[in-house]
Amino acid sequence: MNKYLQIFKISFAQEFAYRLNFIMWRVRNVLQIFLVFFLWTTIFADQSKEIFGYNRDKIITYVFGILVLKALVLSARVIDVSGEISRGDLTNYLLRPVNYFKYWFTRDLSSKALNLSFAAVEFFLLYLVLKPSLFFQTDAIQLAGFLLATSLAIFLFFVLLFIVSFVPFWAPELGWGAQYLLIIVATEFLSGGLFPLDILPIKFQEVLYFTPFPYLIFFPLQIFLGKVTGLALVKGILISSLWTFILFYSMKKLWYKGLLVYRAEGR
Amino acid sequence: MAVDKKENDEKAIIVEHLTKNFEVTVKEKGLAGSLASLFSPKKKTVRALKNISFTIKPGELVGFIGPNGAGKTTTLKILSGLLYPTSGFTQVLGFDPWERRPDYLKKIALVMGQKNQLWWDLPAIDTLELNRAIYEIPKRKYEETLDELVSILEVKKLLNVQVRRLSLGQRMRLEFVAALLHSPQILFLDEPTIGLDLVAQQKVRDFIYEYNRRRGATIILTSHNMDDLIDLAKRVIVIDRGEILFDGDLQDLVKEFARDKIIKVYLSREDDIKELEKIGKLKKFDFPLAILSVSREATAIAAAELLQNFAVSDLTIEEEPIEEIIRRVFKGEMRKKKK
Repeated sequence: MNKYLQIFKISFAQEFAYRLNFIMWRVRNVLQIFLVFFLWTTIFADQSKEIFGYNRDKIITYVFGILVLKALVLSARVIDVSGEISRGDLTNYLLRPVNYFKYWFTRDLSSKALNLSFAAVEFFLLYLVLKPSLFFQTDAIQLAGFLLATSLAIFLFFVLLFIVSFVPFWAPELGWGAQYLLIIVATEFLSGGLFPLDILPIKFQEVLYFTPFPYLIFFPLQIFLGKVTGLALVKGILISSLWTFILFYSMKKLWYKGLLVYRAEGR
Repeated sequence: MAVDKKENDEKAIIVEHLTKNFEVTVKEKGLAGSLASLFSPKKKTVRALKNISFTIKPGELVGFIGPNGAGKTTTLKILSGLLYPTSGFTQVLGFDPWERRPDYLKKIALVMGQKNQLWWDLPAIDTLELNRAIYEIPKRKYEETLDELVSILEVKKLLNVQVRRLSLGQRMRLEFVAALLHSPQILFLDEPTIGLDLVAQQKVRDFIYEYNRRRGATIILTSHNMDDLIDLAKRVIVIDRGEILFDGDLQDLVKEFARDKIIKVYLSREDDIKELEKIGKLKKFDFPLAILSVSREATAIAAAELLQNFAVSDLTIEEEPIEEIIRRVFKGEMRKKKK
């Protein structure tokens, strides 16, 4: 365990090596919050207005929620894996008694911890400045469901990104393209990272619920907002657990297949 | 492949009938070529290792030599568990390298002159601490080994400097520290002195020699640096195009592969150089000394001719120098000699 604690520490130190980058990235986040806050307050200028089942408080909570969940779920260091495979840097890990997946999961957690602690401070300051009327979930079951769904989402995204990162084992030049496709199309659009998915046609939504993507952002947020409860909540957790399970085993299998053809290039 | 159990215990490394093929996509040059290979990729099989066999005893220091692309690095990568062998048997310290068991990985190290494991943005000591945790080295053992490595390689002052600020030579020495912190019994060194200045080369060389002698570590070394091989390797394995052409003492390599003998003559009169060239390949002429290279079989006749037709004050016949032989190995000229 000490192994992974040390990885956590060095990863933290590494993030701080690029302090300015990190701060600029946080500044961008804050600006984004300002932007969406004013956009939605303008649209919902009339307090009683309701669109697609969202009133002003809930849509603003949704938008704030997107920012928090994106920082939590979609910010992942695993993004570097495909480069490591195509450049042959994977060699460094294969030579040492360290589990590559645990290594990257630890690094992800360290990056998320850092992002989250900053996000918490920002959130607090912004709350003081903007005084938004947010919707706070108070029901313990909903909150527990939200935490569970978020943890699953973190793991699910980790596994998804890892699978996509294996592409360079077979096609070293395609690594970036594959990642881009996953991140832009799947995670930004289909996860509900841009807008609530329930404004989409109902048929489309039904199909979408059987894919892993809505469970990354939309589903946990819906639980928080109290829009998914009871049986629907359990069903959602089950589907995302199933996906996590299936994808986890595919990841393992692909990893061993990939190692068979790994060329340890770079020399 | 039944290998006698008792015999196995005396071998650190066993390689039997090892073959490795790579599938590569052939790409025509230019954009048109790239597009063509995208739609109908042409696959080609490259035979990197063709049925090679050798064994290495514990504590041996063996040099792998051969031209670029001969299969030296491929062999090291298979032995350290990075590449999956197409066929054949490999065993190192009783382990199958491909399984990459933690117990195995803790006993080996692969150092590649152009691959770094040090974290670029952080001081080297951070990577060393990380390796201490990864290899689960007890605190006291870690401090002892670190002290020893740091003093032999003279890098104490560099430990707390951001790696990106170090010169190549400084970084390579720290890479060594990082790679050897867990005191591996087996070292695979791939071009360990590449890109280093002469002083740093010598430091690394001395270090390898000491490491082998003091710890009884088994070392396989590939290098294009003549001094590395002559100073360090007693036994050499010559690999070319995936085949082993020679395996034995460096001294015997000369006997096996020397095609020519060197005749040194001191002339007492400045004769026509043209005449000398008829006898053998004139390698150097600086009156009174003339150095001729003559094929082995013709040595006696050449010497007789020289004595007969020239005013010779002294004449010696020598073997080709070892450097010359190794240089020919690197050029891939060994092939012709074989059978």
